[in-house]
Amino acid sequence: MSAAAPLPVVEVRSLSLRMSRDRSAQEVLHEVGLRIGAGEIVGLVGESGSGKSVTALSLLRLLPAGVARYGEGARISVLGRDILAMGEAELRRMRGADVSVIFQEPMTALNPVVRIERQLCEVIRRHRGGSLQAARALSLSLLADMRIADPERAMASFPHELSGGMRQRVMIAMAFSCDPALIIADEATTALDVTVQAQVLELLRQRARAKGTSVLLITHDFGVVNETCDRVYVMYRGEVVEEGLASDIIREPKHPYTRALLSALPGRGLPRARLETVAAAMLEGGEPVVRAAPLPPRVLDDTRPPILETRGLTVRYPKPDALWGRATAPLPAVDGVSLVVRPGETLALVGESGCGKSSLLNALVGLVPHEGDVLYEGAPLRMPRSGVQMVFQDPQGSLDPRWPAWRIVTEPLTVAGRKGRAERRRLAAALFDRVGLSQDAIDRRPHEFSGGQRQRIAVARALSVQPRLLLLDEPTSALDVSVQAQILNLLMDLQDAAGLAYLFVSHDLAVVRHIADRIAIMQRGVIVETGDTATVLASPQHPYTRTLLAAVPRLETQDSLKPIRG
Amino acid sequence: MRPVAQASGVSRLWDAARRALSVAELALGIALFLLVLLLALFGVALQTHDPMASDLMRRFLPFGAEGHLLGTDHMGRDMWSRMLAGLQWSMACAFTANVINLFIGATLGLLAAERPGWTRNVVRQVADIFQAFPSLVAAIVVVVVIGDGFVTLVLTLGFLSWPIFMRVVYAEASSLYSRDFVKAARLAGVSRLAVMFGHVLPGLRASLLVIFALHFAALLIAESALSFLGIGAPLGVPTWGNSLAESRQYVLVAPQLLLVPAGAIIFTVITMNVLGDGLAAYSRRRGRGIEP
Repeated sequence: MSAAAPLPVVEVRSLSLRMSRDRSAQEVLHEVGLRIGAGEIVGLVGESGSGKSVTALSLLRLLPAGVARYGEGARISVLGRDILAMGEAELRRMRGADVSVIFQEPMTALNPVVRIERQLCEVIRRHRGGSLQAARALSLSLLADMRIADPERAMASFPHELSGGMRQRVMIAMAFSCDPALIIADEATTALDVTVQAQVLELLRQRARAKGTSVLLITHDFGVVNETCDRVYVMYRGEVVEEGLASDIIREPKHPYTRALLSALPGRGLPRARLETVAAAMLEGGEPVVRAAPLPPRVLDDTRPPILETRGLTVRYPKPDALWGRATAPLPAVDGVSLVVRPGETLALVGESGCGKSSLLNALVGLVPHEGDVLYEGAPLRMPRSGVQMVFQDPQGSLDPRWPAWRIVTEPLTVAGRKGRAERRRLAAALFDRVGLSQDAIDRRPHEFSGGQRQRIAVARALSVQPRLLLLDEPTSALDVSVQAQILNLLMDLQDAAGLAYLFVSHDLAVVRHIADRIAIMQRGVIVETGDTATVLASPQHPYTRTLLAAVPRLETQDSLKPIRG
Repeated sequence: MRPVAQASGVSRLWDAARRALSVAELALGIALFLLVLLLALFGVALQTHDPMASDLMRRFLPFGAEGHLLGTDHMGRDMWSRMLAGLQWSMACAFTANVINLFIGATLGLLAAERPGWTRNVVRQVADIFQAFPSLVAAIVVVVVIGDGFVTLVLTLGFLSWPIFMRVVYAEASSLYSRDFVKAARLAGVSRLAVMFGHVLPGLRASLLVIFALHFAALLIAESALSFLGIGAPLGVPTWGNSLAESRQYVLVAPQLLLVPAGAIIFTVITMNVLGDGLAAYSRRRGRGIEP
């Protein structure tokens, strides 16, 4: 690659940055150095708060001017020009034309009330000039390059009429429309399904290679780095702690943080082994301790009566007739699903967005009407039932922001009868203890906790009534890798201690491989394959399972530069 | 981290100024409101004369005349005392009507948000009808049919102008009902009422307060308008609307008679608006703290 090209596209040297809202200025970047050669795809990896996005935004000075204070001696040069010395007008010309940015959520970057055609043409004409016809022709060919099946139709659509993957493709088309020298992709594929992510990353990569465009790819996912990037920078608390060829770093990480981050990834080590958490690794002298002591193999007894069973579960959403408000015959969102969860085991339900896994969960707990049977311990399940509790994906939304934590975790207990404040607080403290939170924190409100702590609170609430079965709806998807590791550890510990059964809904095969005993793959409302985790993942039978497995960005390749499947 | 548009020094100053202004607005709103409230509650003690006592020898006295701070009207009654009496009447009327509005609107709004389906549709249709019908005209009809008086006036205003409460409560409660914490509570078996009082109503408090203040101003105007038309307060009762109506005939002789009730109405309405806006700005800022 052109890592040693004479003139780098981006060169950042000793970039320190303080952000100040009030008088207290906090250093968010410390002596960051970064170099991107022409045509190079460089990854910037780190967890939230590591400073990766701030670094990227600094390249275009997109941080609020009064808030960001650059340190002495900081130098940012993009295409040989000194960004920190540039005037505002000059910068504006550079943004979009020479450097473009793709963000995580295209819905916020696209104007919702303007058709794609106008948005694309406007960008092209602003930076390149030319006639509307020329801009339109270019837009069409760009969309075709992005393998959008019907470019004309996409052009005539509003953003909300396109799927997430299509929107992100439009964003990439827009980013390439002015032939920029550098594209900054800030978690550009994080919100997408794995199969779509694989396609989008491949398009980005191919297009960058064809045009000789440099790419700065910001991500938290080492798999993505491995499959897409030439070189990588690892950031931790505002510093670059390691840099090098992507393949080298993944094979032999030098810095303890990188090692910790890699070992926090589920799906690499032994299934159900405790995952290394970053905090633990950093505390213990920087040497992540390998605790992958082989666990006693879990013997699953398939003769035991199931704790949860569904028979031919079908969910149909009535489509309201526009004129009369009557229901017309709808397509089932869940189509005849039969599942079995046995006591103490984890069944993972895996599928991409829109496959019907949320509908299935909602049907289980009676939030949407369904056909077919749901049996709990052999009898029809009627919620509420203290034996069955649910944990939601986003702890921010599942905890009432106005309530103190002790009230939140003991809320289910109030159903059985009134309990005094003192007793509830005592129970809350015990629950906090069980999920690894400090008992002193029970008076705090949700916003005073971090994301991982909030999810612990959500788990504590579910545990308050001694359930036997937890329905976990993507419980770690909204969390950082190291925090995800902590929550997965917690869930496994609780399962071992209390013999809980889990129905674990997820889109993440790595997580599932780590935690699940059995696995059910769902596509378009139907379970296409089911079996014990190791077997299904080792020898998938259904084509969709194979597609899904192939799309997961992997770390286990020998060569980071291997071409992605076409 | 989202890119924020480059903020220049000027816009930062503007930001800071706006923050300070919103605090000042709330403080000013509360101060003015307390003043109005105290005058309404204890204004009787400040009355220098009986507001009904006429003295035909001392008619049309100007502002600052001896013994009459704001002069006298065409019957020689003390304008200052009449203004205070009118304040009491107006505040009582607007407050009671507003409480009725709040109660009906919030109940129906919560009901509609909690039970989507035909309950919601019926409630929304009824609210639409009430809102589409010009409420002043409706009030006139009711008062003409039933007759005037404090109770009629309050009930009329109270039962006619609740849709604004219903709409706000419905919109906000619907969004709260779709949140996962409500789902979690329902799945745990928490009763409908407990969810309503524990999770939904506390979340509505801020906006209800704001609407209450702003709608209070609207009701003050409606009450005065009805009295001015001669169908609100019974004739002779010293309300601002009546005073305005009476002063109309003497605009050329004694224009100051118009200024006292008009000024009082404007002052009170502005007070409630400042208070409402201040509360809105404050709860917006505080809301950001709760849900970052």
